Amino acid sequence: MSNHITTDLLVDYVHHELAPEEDALVHAHLGECAGCRREVENESALTDALRSAAAAEETDMPSLVAARVWETIRSARPSPLGRLAVLLRPAVAVPLAAALVIGAYVAVPLSHGGPAPTIDAGYYFEQHAAAQVQYPLAERGATLQPADRAALEDDSPPAQLAEQSNVGVATVDFISAVR
Amino acid sequence: MAAPRARVEPPSAEQAAFLERAIQQYGKATYNFAYRLAGNEADARDLAQEAFIRVYRAWRSFQPGTSFLSWVYRIVTNLYRDELRRRKGRFQEEIPEDNVPQQFGGERPLAVTPIDDYVERQLGEPLSKALAQLSAEQRQVVVLADIEEYSYQEIAEVMGCSIGTVRSRLHRARALLRRLVERARQQQR
Repeated sequence: MSNHITTDLLVDYVHHELAPEEDALVHAHLGECAGCRREVENESALTDALRSAAAAEETDMPSLVAARVWETIRSARPSPLGRLAVLLRPAVAVPLAAALVIGAYVAVPLSHGGPAPTIDAGYYFEQHAAAQVQYPLAERGATLQPADRAALEDDSPPAQLAEQSNVGVATVDFISAVR
Repeated sequence: MAAPRARVEPPSAEQAAFLERAIQQYGKATYNFAYRLAGNEADARDLAQEAFIRVYRAWRSFQPGTSFLSWVYRIVTNLYRDELRRRKGRFQEEIPEDNVPQQFGGERPLAVTPIDDYVERQLGEPLSKALAQLSAEQRQVVVLADIEEYSYQEIAEVMGCSIGTVRSRLHRARALLRRLVERARQQQR
């Protein structure tokens, strides 16, 4: 770099914006060239003068500015979209969704007319007792003999079965007493 | 400077805290930056005010870990550019090109005036006044590079242009400033 360095390149040098190799070349040249050194000093002086002038004029932001910002914000009314956006905030959306789910759970059975049908436990005992009367041996795992099967298929129960059926009646009476 | 107001929603507690801290920590820097761009207190106040309303509105878009000041400077720069365009439309005059100095401030039109006229009027004025004679883009780049000490890359991000544009604007701006200062020195002799 035997010739003088351009002012634009010196401006970049002063602002530390040259690539390392370029910066090194300029730096080396400045060590040898008084003219370019003087030019760099002028550029640096301009930067220093700008900073000094800016620092001398620097002031705090007038309190009026902040007051107006807050006034503008606090006097704002939410837009329709803004109101909808409120519903999407987690603090609002989660309880709202929970309430909707619970409401749906309660409301859906009601919408089918009255309370859901319930089956009394006694119903099953009665059914069981009736089955015992009709098939007294079924629950005991007993194998029906052909004679017994024939007797069961017969409309008129034999004396033996009729006697056993009294046990079933007694069972029904006992369950009724418990209830 | 009556920049168009953005739609504002009432504050949430978190949002209000963010804005309060932003004003407290960066209000002074933001206002002074706006003042250096606009060149007068009235415009600087309006710019800073609107900038913080934008900060408030867009607070969620600020990424923690990045420079808040760069963000707010970009907002101020954009607001100022929009305002210049608005005034251009109002007064049906052209915004000066990079090499042409401009006069600004208040509600005056942005007139294009020969440099010599400005130099004659600026004799003996401080350097900050000479700075005011640059075009808006030139002034922005000088303020960011020489006063705020931003890198070319950072300036390019704030101004939304390439590094090459930053470089050329800064070169031309400083060349003009040197001429203005030199002219002032000659007049003082």
